[in-house]
Amino acid sequence: MKKLIVLSLVLLLTACAGGLAPKATMTWPAVPDEVKTACPDLAQVDTSTTKLSDALDVVSANYTQYYTCKDRVDNWIDWYNNQQKIYNSVK
Amino acid sequence: MFSWLITQILGNLPTWLWPALAGAAGAVYFLAHLISNFPNLKAYAFFIKPVSFAVIIFSVFMYGGAGVTAILQAQLKEQEGKIAVAQQASKDTNKAVKTKIIHDTKVIHDTRVVIQKEIQHDAAKMDADCKLDPLAIKDLNDAAKNPLGTSK
Repeated sequence: MKKLIVLSLVLLLTACAGGLAPKATMTWPAVPDEVKTACPDLAQVDTSTTKLSDALDVVSANYTQYYTCKDRVDNWIDWYNNQQKIYNSVK
Repeated sequence: MFSWLITQILGNLPTWLWPALAGAAGAVYFLAHLISNFPNLKAYAFFIKPVSFAVIIFSVFMYGGAGVTAILQAQLKEQEGKIAVAQQASKDTNKAVKTKIIHDTKVIHDTRVVIQKEIQHDAAKMDADCKLDPLAIKDLNDAAKNPLGTSK
């Protein structure tokens, strides 16, 4: 009878080992198109002009370009950090 | 196909069936032990005992398997729940980033428009007082050039 109990326990454990655990996985999310755009080069001043206002306009446009690009990179970093935090929470 | 069919059949059987079957087989084994004391029935006992023993072993094995499956299913369900929550959070993050970029771009663009108007307003005065040397434009353009080459 003792042998029967031991054998039963062994069989129970065998059944445990025989089961393959199914696993649900999370896929890494797609990057929003808004942050995927590359930053263009800075604009150049027309070399034929002698007007300060023309040069100032191009410089101002370049500042705008810089801040647009900076915002995109900052948002990209935020997006990545947040998504990594979410992804690691279900690992 | 055959293994799938077997899995489906076994998967749909209730868990309580296996200990019940093991108990029934144990009872049969005990009865077979009793009837083995009767010489006329000893031959039946000789056959019934190993069969009931095999049924006990099989039932215990299947009960173990059913228990493990139940635990794994519960873990899987819990994991799927966590993933569903995480995927929603991930979608919300994407949406928040998109909304923020649209908002930020608008603010930057609006500021640019204001500055442009200021430049246009002050252009006559600054252009009258200052004439740019072409060397200044060349230096400015050189500074604006990408030192790593044209970006893609």
